[in-house]
Amino acid sequence: MKTEELKNQEYKYGFTTEIENFKAPKGLSEKTIRFISEIKKEPKWMLDWRLKAFNRLKVLKEPNWQKPKYPKINYQDLYYYSAPKSMKDKPKSLDEVDPKLIETYNKLGIPLNEQKRLSGVAVDAVFDSVSVATTFKGELDKKGIIFCPISEAIQKHPDLVKKYLGSVIPISDHYFATLNSAVFTDGSFVYIPPNTRCPMELSTYFRINASETGQFERTLIIADKGSYVSYLEGCTAPMRDENQLHAANVELVALDDAEIKYSTVQNWYPGDKDGVGGIYNFVTKRGACRGRNSKISWTQVETGSAITWKYPSCILQGDNSIGEFYSIAITNNHQKADTGTKMIHIGKNTKSKIISKGISAGQADNTYRGLVDIKVKAKNSRNYTQCDSLLMGNKCGAHTIPYIRNKNSSSTIEHEATTSKINEDQLFYCNQRGLNQEEAVSLIVNGFCKEVLQQLPMEFAVEAQKLVSISLEGSVG
Amino acid sequence: MGQLFNIDLKKIYSSNDKEAADRKKNFEFFLKRGLPNKKNENWKFSDLNYIISKNFKNITNNNEYKFDKKIETIHDFDHNKVILVNGLLKSFDLHFEEKDKVKIETLKSLESFHYQSKNNLDYLNKALSIGGFNLEVQQNYKCKKPIIIYNYFSENLNNKIINNSNRIQVSQNSELTLIEYNIIEKSKFIKNTFEKINIDKGAVLKHIILQKTKSNGYFYKNISGTQGYNSSYQNFILSSGLKFNKIEIDMILEKEKSSCHILSGLNLSKEEHQEIKTQINHLAPNCKSYQKIKNVLENDSKGVYQGKIFVKDIAQKTDAYQLSKALILNDRAEFNAKPELEIYADDVKCSHGSSSGGIDEEAIHYLMTRGIELRAANKLLIKGFLNEIFDNIPEEKIRTFLEKTIAGQIDEVR
Repeated sequence: MKTEELKNQEYKYGFTTEIENFKAPKGLSEKTIRFISEIKKEPKWMLDWRLKAFNRLKVLKEPNWQKPKYPKINYQDLYYYSAPKSMKDKPKSLDEVDPKLIETYNKLGIPLNEQKRLSGVAVDAVFDSVSVATTFKGELDKKGIIFCPISEAIQKHPDLVKKYLGSVIPISDHYFATLNSAVFTDGSFVYIPPNTRCPMELSTYFRINASETGQFERTLIIADKGSYVSYLEGCTAPMRDENQLHAANVELVALDDAEIKYSTVQNWYPGDKDGVGGIYNFVTKRGACRGRNSKISWTQVETGSAITWKYPSCILQGDNSIGEFYSIAITNNHQKADTGTKMIHIGKNTKSKIISKGISAGQADNTYRGLVDIKVKAKNSRNYTQCDSLLMGNKCGAHTIPYIRNKNSSSTIEHEATTSKINEDQLFYCNQRGLNQEEAVSLIVNGFCKEVLQQLPMEFAVEAQKLVSISLEGSVG
Repeated sequence: MGQLFNIDLKKIYSSNDKEAADRKKNFEFFLKRGLPNKKNENWKFSDLNYIISKNFKNITNNNEYKFDKKIETIHDFDHNKVILVNGLLKSFDLHFEEKDKVKIETLKSLESFHYQSKNNLDYLNKALSIGGFNLEVQQNYKCKKPIIIYNYFSENLNNKIINNSNRIQVSQNSELTLIEYNIIEKSKFIKNTFEKINIDKGAVLKHIILQKTKSNGYFYKNISGTQGYNSSYQNFILSSGLKFNKIEIDMILEKEKSSCHILSGLNLSKEEHQEIKTQINHLAPNCKSYQKIKNVLENDSKGVYQGKIFVKDIAQKTDAYQLSKALILNDRAEFNAKPELEIYADDVKCSHGSSSGGIDEEAIHYLMTRGIELRAANKLLIKGFLNEIFDNIPEEKIRTFLEKTIAGQIDEVR
C-alpha cells in the first residue's frame, strides 16, 4: 500500500449516520436519571441504585493524578441519553430495525444479518445509548447462555443482575465509575451457565453517533462454575471537532474453574492531526476471579481516542486463580494514553502476567501505569511484568510507572521495562530487501507487538494488525 | 499538629532579624500543612505523619551540643576526620591534604536553600535549621585520603528534632571520597537534613552513607545536586539500623557525559523502615545513570524504593538503568517499589527491572548438600546478595571495611 493511500485511510469510520434522535434533556440531574430509568422501563430497585450512585457522585471529586490533562468537562452540557427515534419502541426482529442503522453497521463491517455472517460470532450492536440488535440469540438460548442488552437483563434476569451488578466495581468506586453507575444506558450482559463452553465468540460493537452526548455503557459478564467465554469489544465514532466523553464500566466475574477472555480493539475517533476533537475514553474495567482455578485474561489494542485512561484489572481472590493482561497502546499526533493494569493477589498460588507494549509517535504521550500487589495471605504467588516502549521522534513521550508491592516471602515478583527506538539496522535490512520505510516500520512494529497480537481471536488479530499500521502512518520519514 | 510539636523558635540562632522572620514564616507554613502522609504520592509507602505521631509526642528542638566523649574512630584505613555533634560542626582534622585545598567550615548562610518546594519538610528545615557544614574542594585537587564525617548524636536527644543543612562543592577536575558515618547513642529522636551538592566539570564525588550500630533514629535526608560536563557522582547507601530512614536524591545531569551511580545495600530487621527515593534528571545528551538497590528484609521490616528517570527531549544517547531487588525473609516484612521512567527522547537506552521474593530454596539445598548448615547457607547467600554493590569501589581497604560492616550487620540479625 502506498503512503498516499494510507493517508486517505486515516480514520475510515469517521462518518455520521443521519438519523433522527431522541434525547434526554441536557444536563446531569436526578431528573435525567429518572428519565433514563423510565425510558428503559426499569424496576424500582434499579432506579434506587442509580440514585444512590448519583448521591455519592455529588460528594466525589474528579481525579487529577493522571498524566494526560484535559480541559474541564461541563457535565451539565452533555446529553446522557440519545437513541435513534425508530428505536423508541423496541423492534421485535431485525426486519423492523431502521435500515439506516443496519446500513451503518454494514459500513462498519459488522453485518447484523445472521445469514451473512461467515463465522460464528454473536454480536450485540450498541448505537449511542441503546442496543440495536443482538444476533444468534436462538442458538445461544439452547445452551442456556444469556447474551442480551443489559437493559433487557434488568427486566428478564433481575436476580442475576442484582447479585452481580456493582459487586466488582462498587457504586462508590471513583468519579467516573460512579457517574456511569448513575447514568449508564446500555451495554451487554452475559451469563454462561455452569460447565458450558460458549460455542462462539460473543461480541459487542459500540458506536457513538450523536453529537454532544456521552456514552455510558455497562457490561457485566458472569462465567459460572467450569464455563468458558471469549468476548470481543469494538468501538468507533464519527469525526467531530468536539471532545466526547465515553465512561464505561465493565465487570467480569469468574467462578470456580471458569475462564473469561476479554478482548478489546478500541478505535474511537482520535482527533485530527492538531489534536482537535476525539473521544475521551475514561473506562473502568475490572474482573474478579472469585472461584478457585478461575482465569481472567484481558487483551487490548488501543489505537483510538484523544485520551485513553483505563486500567483493566484482576482481583485474584480464588486460590490458584490466574490474571493476564496483554496490551498494545499506540498514540500518534496529539493522542494521550495512560493505561495499564492492576493485579491484586489475595488467594494462594495466584499467578499474573502483564505484557504491555506502548508505541508513541508525533507529539503523543504514552504512559504505562500498573499495580502488582501481593497480599500477606497470597502464599506462593507469582507475577511477571514486561513493559516495553517504542519511541518515534523526540517530540513524543513514553513513561512507565509501575507500583510493586510484595508482602510475602514465598511470592515472587519480576518486573522489567525497556524504552527504545526502532533499530536502524533492522530498518536498513528491510529497506535492502525492497520494503519502503513505511512498510518496514509497520513490519517491525507488528513484530514488536506480536506477543499481544497473538492473544487476539483470529478475526480481530487481522484487523488489529492493519490498525497498528494505519495508526502510525505519517509518523516516519 | 500543635500538640505534636513544641518548638521554641527563639532558641535557634538567627544572624539577623530577617532570618528570624523567615524562620517564623516557614514554620507557620509547615504547621499549616503538617507532616507528609500517605495521601502525598511521594510518601505513599511511608506515612511519615503516622510514623512520627505514633512514636513521638511533644517534640522539641535541641540546643545541647555538649561533647565530652571520645569517638571510636575507624582504624581500617587512613582518613581525614570531621566531627559533627548533633548536626553541628564541632572539629575537623584534614592533615592528609595540602593546605587550603580542602575547606570545611560551619555553614553560615542558608540563602542557597531558599527555593520553591513542594516538600513540606523543606519548610520545616528552613524554619529550624541550625546550619551544618560547608565543604569545598578546590580546582584540580584530588584528595589523597577519604574524609569521614563522624555524625555523632548524644544520648539526651529523646523527643528532640534536629534540622541541619550541608553544602558540598567539588570544583573542576577535583576528586573526593566522603564517608558519612552515623554514631548514635541510645536516644529516640528525629533528624531532618537537606544537603546541596555541586559537582563541577570533570570532578568526581564518592559519597558513602553508613550507620554504625542499630539505633532509635528517625531520619530524613534530602540530597539535591547538579553535575557538570564529564563529572561523576557515586552514592552508596548502607544505612541499615535506623528505625526510620528516608533518603531522597534529586540529581540533575546538566551537561554532557556526566554520570550518576546510586547503589544501596540494606539489611533491615525488626521494626526498621527505610525508603530510597531518587530522581535522576537527564537534561543533556550522552549521560549515564545507574541505580542498583538491594534490600534484605527480616522480621516486620519494610523496604521502599521509588526511583524516577527523567529524560529530556534533547538528552539523546542517554543510558539509564534502574534495578531494585529484595529478599523477603519473613511474611511480616514487605517491599514496595515504584521504578518510574519518563522519557521524551527517542534514541535512548532506558530500562528498569525489579524483583522481589524469598530466598532461593534450590541454592540453599545446593549449599546444604555440600555440608554447609542451613544458618550458614542463608548467611552466605545474603552476603553474596548484598556484597555485589561494592564492585564499584576500587579502594581495597574501604571495600574490605564496608564488607566487614555489612557482615557485622548480618550477624547481628541472624
